[in-house]
Amino acid sequence: MTDRDGAPEAHSRLEISRRAALAGGGAALLAALAACGKSSEDNAAADGEGAGDFPKTPKYRFVFVNHVTTNPFFVPTQYGAEDACALLKCEYQWTGSETANVSEMVNAFNTAITGNADGIAIAITDQKAFNEPTDKALAAGIPVVSYNADDPNNARLAYIGQDLFLSGVEMGKRIVQLVPSGKIALFIATPGSLNIQPRIDGAIQAIKDSGKDIQYKTIATGAELNEELSRVDAWWLGNKDAKGMFAVDAGSTQSVGQVIEKYKLRDQDVKGGGYDTLPKTLELLQADQLDFTIDQQPYLQGFYPVAQLFITKISGGLTGPAETNTGLKFVTKDDAGSYSANPSRFEGSSKEQKVIRSGT
Amino acid sequence: MGEVLRVEGVAKRFGPVTALRNVDLHLEHGEVLGLLGDNGAGKSTLIKILSGYYKPDAGAIYLDGEPVEISSVVHARSLGIDTVYQDLALVDELSVFHNVFLNREILHPIPLLNNRAMRRRAAEAINDIGVDIPSVKVPVARLSGGQRQAIAIARSVHSDARILLLDEPLAAMGVREGALVLDLIRRLRESGDVSIVMILHNYVHVFQACDRVNLLNDGEIVLDKPTAESSVEELTEIVVKEFRNGRRHAGS
Amino acid sequence: MAPETADPAAAPEAAAAGSVAEAAPPTKAARAVELALGRRELSIAVVTIALYVYFLNTVVDFASTENLQTLGTFIAATAIIAAGQVFLMISGEIDLSVGQVFALTAFVMYYLDDAGVPLMLAVVLSLVGASLIGLVNGLITTVIGVSSFITTLGAFFFLNGLTLTISNGRPVATPGGETFTNIFGGGAYSGILWAIGITLALQLVLMRTRWGLHTFAVGGNLLGSREAGIRVRWVKTRNFMLASTLAGFAGILEAVRITSTDPLAGGSGIMFAAIASAVIGGTLLAGGSGTVIGAFLGACVLGILRDGFTLQGVSAFTFDLILGIAILVAMVVDIYVTRLRHRGGRGET
Repeated sequence: MTDRDGAPEAHSRLEISRRAALAGGGAALLAALAACGKSSEDNAAADGEGAGDFPKTPKYRFVFVNHVTTNPFFVPTQYGAEDACALLKCEYQWTGSETANVSEMVNAFNTAITGNADGIAIAITDQKAFNEPTDKALAAGIPVVSYNADDPNNARLAYIGQDLFLSGVEMGKRIVQLVPSGKIALFIATPGSLNIQPRIDGAIQAIKDSGKDIQYKTIATGAELNEELSRVDAWWLGNKDAKGMFAVDAGSTQSVGQVIEKYKLRDQDVKGGGYDTLPKTLELLQADQLDFTIDQQPYLQGFYPVAQLFITKISGGLTGPAETNTGLKFVTKDDAGSYSANPSRFEGSSKEQKVIRSGT
Repeated sequence: MGEVLRVEGVAKRFGPVTALRNVDLHLEHGEVLGLLGDNGAGKSTLIKILSGYYKPDAGAIYLDGEPVEISSVVHARSLGIDTVYQDLALVDELSVFHNVFLNREILHPIPLLNNRAMRRRAAEAINDIGVDIPSVKVPVARLSGGQRQAIAIARSVHSDARILLLDEPLAAMGVREGALVLDLIRRLRESGDVSIVMILHNYVHVFQACDRVNLLNDGEIVLDKPTAESSVEELTEIVVKEFRNGRRHAGS
Repeated sequence: MAPETADPAAAPEAAAAGSVAEAAPPTKAARAVELALGRRELSIAVVTIALYVYFLNTVVDFASTENLQTLGTFIAATAIIAAGQVFLMISGEIDLSVGQVFALTAFVMYYLDDAGVPLMLAVVLSLVGASLIGLVNGLITTVIGVSSFITTLGAFFFLNGLTLTISNGRPVATPGGETFTNIFGGGAYSGILWAIGITLALQLVLMRTRWGLHTFAVGGNLLGSREAGIRVRWVKTRNFMLASTLAGFAGILEAVRITSTDPLAGGSGIMFAAIASAVIGGTLLAGGSGTVIGAFLGACVLGILRDGFTLQGVSAFTFDLILGIAILVAMVVDIYVTRLRHRGGRGET
């Protein structure tokens, strides 16, 4: 509040300098932002021919809303989306939450709608929160598919990913083979999350159905990699009589292998296994620190949504997305070799584009 | 007329440290009493007891001849005792008028601050004690040391304090600023409405502004003399002798 | 910025002749303009508008109704929590547990409703619970003397574990019929309207009531306030309770908005965002100075940046990089403008 006793000259001098500074400061800020932000020119219509034999299209923008955007598991997913986009001359955006925060994901989803995305791929990690946004998107003419995690109550057009519950059942059967009786741990990053909870449910079901005397403990490890390692480590130190440690997500699986290696638990015939093919996980598998891991082929979880959304768009919705099971593959020590020997975009271990020759 | 304040046998300990042992002090109406003493002698503690900030461990306090128990700062104020501490208890970021009315704010019928009324009365209060400041709206951080002291004193005077306790009012002040404050204190004394106890370090100031001087040493009052009957030199001699006598008790 | 203080940059140094100058009372309009121009919030308002204009020009449909609604959802919860943090920060303290109170309160409301308590009563009781957390934080900090950073850090972990334990880590469906949902966060503008209302109400409390004034006093000179007889412990504890209650309310609004009550909601992310909003808006981390409207604008800055960059297609990996740079640039401009304000007032060139 200015004092009314102030000399009038000082006052107007103040005003002029303030206005000049604000104008100059504002211009500087805009210039700086322009240097940082992405330009909107990328959204201009693609010139020349369409992709392959397809007709010319504007450069579609597909938004992937993810729950753990910086988690290494999804690196191949992003490569898959990237490659599909290069093929079909469109672009994708990778957004959402770093910490499985549903609120942030909903915000990102809504922003995609108001930003007129051409298609949205959502990892449905919450039973309710994404229903309204999906309805809104479909009402606005934006096709929506789910990937990696799903809930049938959501109005999404198709789910592209692994059958979560069944994969858990298969893992449960494998566990029963490895540890016929005794105490085991089942690690899960964020309990209740729809992308991993069904796996544990499936595993527990298979274990119960087997009728064997297996005491399983479910432990939460958190959404971030370094925290997961500490949790697994701490659990082991408090439960040295356990016969096996298993996990249903990439980070926890890697941590299980690391802990087994650290304390030389293979000497005590402790079993371990889990999901996904992070480079470190494969390394540990090859070194016989883990018994198996399950490949859910995350590359396809990025590739197929883009391809399917593209076709939905150019066919005006006449040919829409289809339920796609990206597969369930047990990877053991013997296969691990060919994974590690061939770092590739498909596993996220290399950025290079190359053809991988198989042994057969 | 007569005695406004009497303190008898007041003692105060802080754990193993004895700040005040057995303090007897009195203050006449309209008088300015200077309180001297070494650092750590307990002067601030005594002031804080009189202002309701501390409670004494022993002893009695009489106001106008009646015994009182001062339970809190707010209670002390309601009895007409107000204090200006060394740090002035001013909040730098707040305006002059908000500081004058700190914890005594004037409200509207609804519980909102009545800033206009406070501004006006603060300006009046500062005018009344004859001090110049540019505006009551500036934050006190912008004022000089002497002006800040004056604001703190105006705050007390305005709240109808009858007994004013000043803790080192001239500390860290230049000659000119100090003279301003001494002037203000003299004016207050002449108005006759308020009695003052003032902690000082400078003996010249004592003789410039005080009617009487007390020396607090080792938790007790060891000297009580009207300034008219003494001088700076004599006072210095007495003080040095007291300290040389080494009446220091162990454990303080 | 303290209440009713003349802009130090504009106050002349020389004392006027005679005592205190009394100018003729100004017109209401002139007073309002001066009120706005000299205030700290002006510079951050300028930054906010500049950002908005930038995105307006680079993103299609930035000003569309849908996007304004989305923008509102980015801003609302953070702004509400920030309002409470401002009071605390001015009085010299901080609350790191607000993100956890955010999640827990929504769960308490869910469990009360599940147990048969009428929903509005469940809301009130869960907010009372939130304020009790603030009370405990306040007492531990002011009576026992643990620094608020540590006290609320402990509360952060404790409440996180508590929320996960009582919920078993699983999200649940937020209760509430249509009217309730529309009013408490589900309606298109519900969240942002609550945020604006709370901001204005609290700015009034901060600048025009004893509560606010004593908050500034305690933050500016704790010892002096105590010497003046202000009950500093109560002032601080009251602010802790305010911060927690607002965090709980924001949590309820968000749980209603996304129709899911999630144990992982809130957390350290929204806590940092709220504190950052307060600081961007002009509240000092050191205490003694602050503004609720500024914190709201700070939340707007963060919200506009997030929403705008997402619309521009910035992907997750580079997102934080760009967000960080943008915040720094915005603050540098803000400081630059503030310095010029002060220098201009003192007559220096």
